[in-house]
Amino acid sequence: MPSVAGGIAAVAVALAIYAGSRGLRYFDAALVGYATATVFLAFGVTYRYAVWVSAPAARRYLLRGWQAFFSWRNFRSLPTAVPRSVLGYLGFQTFLRARGRGRWIAHQLVFWGVVLATLITFPLTFGWLAFFSDTASGPGYTIYVLGFRTVSFDALSLVGWMVFHGLDIAAVLVLAGCGWFLWRRFRHREATTGQRFGYDFFPLIGLVAISVTGLLLTFSSWLLEGRSYDFLAIAHMATVVLTLVFIPFGKFFHVIQRPASVGVEIYKRAALERDGVFPCRRCGEPLEAKAFVSDLKQTMDELELGFSEWAETCPRCKRVLRGQAYLDTVKRGFR
Amino acid sequence: MMGTTLFIDPGRCIGCQACVAACRECDSHRGKSMIHLDYIDAGRTAAAMPTVCMHCEDPVAPCAEVCPADAILVTADGVVQEAAKERCIGCGNCVDACPFGVPKLDVAEMLQYKCNLCYDRTSVGLAPMCATVCPTSAIFYGSIEELEADRPGAQAIDVFRFGSAEVRTGCAVVAPDSFTGPAPGGM
Repeated sequence: MPSVAGGIAAVAVALAIYAGSRGLRYFDAALVGYATATVFLAFGVTYRYAVWVSAPAARRYLLRGWQAFFSWRNFRSLPTAVPRSVLGYLGFQTFLRARGRGRWIAHQLVFWGVVLATLITFPLTFGWLAFFSDTASGPGYTIYVLGFRTVSFDALSLVGWMVFHGLDIAAVLVLAGCGWFLWRRFRHREATTGQRFGYDFFPLIGLVAISVTGLLLTFSSWLLEGRSYDFLAIAHMATVVLTLVFIPFGKFFHVIQRPASVGVEIYKRAALERDGVFPCRRCGEPLEAKAFVSDLKQTMDELELGFSEWAETCPRCKRVLRGQAYLDTVKRGFR
Repeated sequence: MMGTTLFIDPGRCIGCQACVAACRECDSHRGKSMIHLDYIDAGRTAAAMPTVCMHCEDPVAPCAEVCPADAILVTADGVVQEAAKERCIGCGNCVDACPFGVPKLDVAEMLQYKCNLCYDRTSVGLAPMCATVCPTSAIFYGSIEELEADRPGAQAIDVFRFGSAEVRTGCAVVAPDSFTGPAPGGM
């Protein structure tokens, strides 16, 4: 099933490239490596996603999250819940600010750098976005989107500079953020504990390599009169392709997983509002939303854990009850 | 049970909170204590219950099994690690599913925290912070042979009963050798 889903996604992306580039008319053959890697990326990400959501807990929350998302009742009672969660968790990542200001700033730099690069690169390599010079000598350029003529601009104006250096700006943002994360990987005990090269370092090295080789392309055309440009273009493509095909298998997959936090948030808020809170069986203190406890018990039963009823007791009471049982039946101690 | 591990003896605990303070100093989660110290009958007796992660072996880490984001890694040495920061979505499944009541959830950080056996220390042969400072050795770090040599007449129990289910763990509790059967889970 995951293979079929991955295959469908890859074919869909290939068809979208063909259609969006108007039968490859606007497709830039020099960028074929990037486009091919994206087709593989679509397969890999979809395959991994399908495997991920086949596990009981993930499958249940995927379903509950979408149910909460499409619920008209939730929309009426919590109209701002979805946009606030999307902006807060996915855009500005406020939870990272709570984990540390440095981490938050660095992650925001990497995040917006990658978003900017993605918005430029993917349409460009798909042939959905194309630039054509108005005259043989410039400086006027016209942007074609999905084969349709849109705006024209002067390449030597500020707008022109921004358009042609968008990826350079993205690279600087990414390098600044990655620098902080790399420093942390070498110096911070929290980060160094249990870190793995393939999982923790490789993604950072990949982003740095993409950014540096990308900036070197600009450096070559700006100051070296295009020397080594061909080699740098291939080196840059190699770093991008390697990183793209790595996304489904390593740390970058958290980008695909993170939207689940929005689903869980709106599901829990809506469940709390609809059914109320489940009190701890022992102390009566609020535990979680009733639907949450019920769903967790179902997940535990599916996993054959055998103590799902225990989920109705709060963590502190579980510990106290175990302590009481130990001191009553195993060893009396200081009582 | 893991080779070198934590042995908890609640009967020895005097509730001094040294373990709680020491846990906060651990470099891998500085400022946050991962150990729980609960008073069984607060105000009447000194009886206290120190709770660390028991690093469940069978079933393997229920917290990891119920995690919808695959955020909890069990390393090859059997240590159930705390949630990976980039993956945890803060749902709280692990908090309510853990039979020992170990994981904590920081709602603002949208992140689970739990005892990771002071992995920055134990992975290089040092004892966890809690065991290092415990004045009564209610928290003992070593091998089963070292425990038996230190405490004649004691045994380690690494199976806990929760209703009809049993959970075998990487850490253990200490019991008199006259005691038979799994340790009670309190359920």
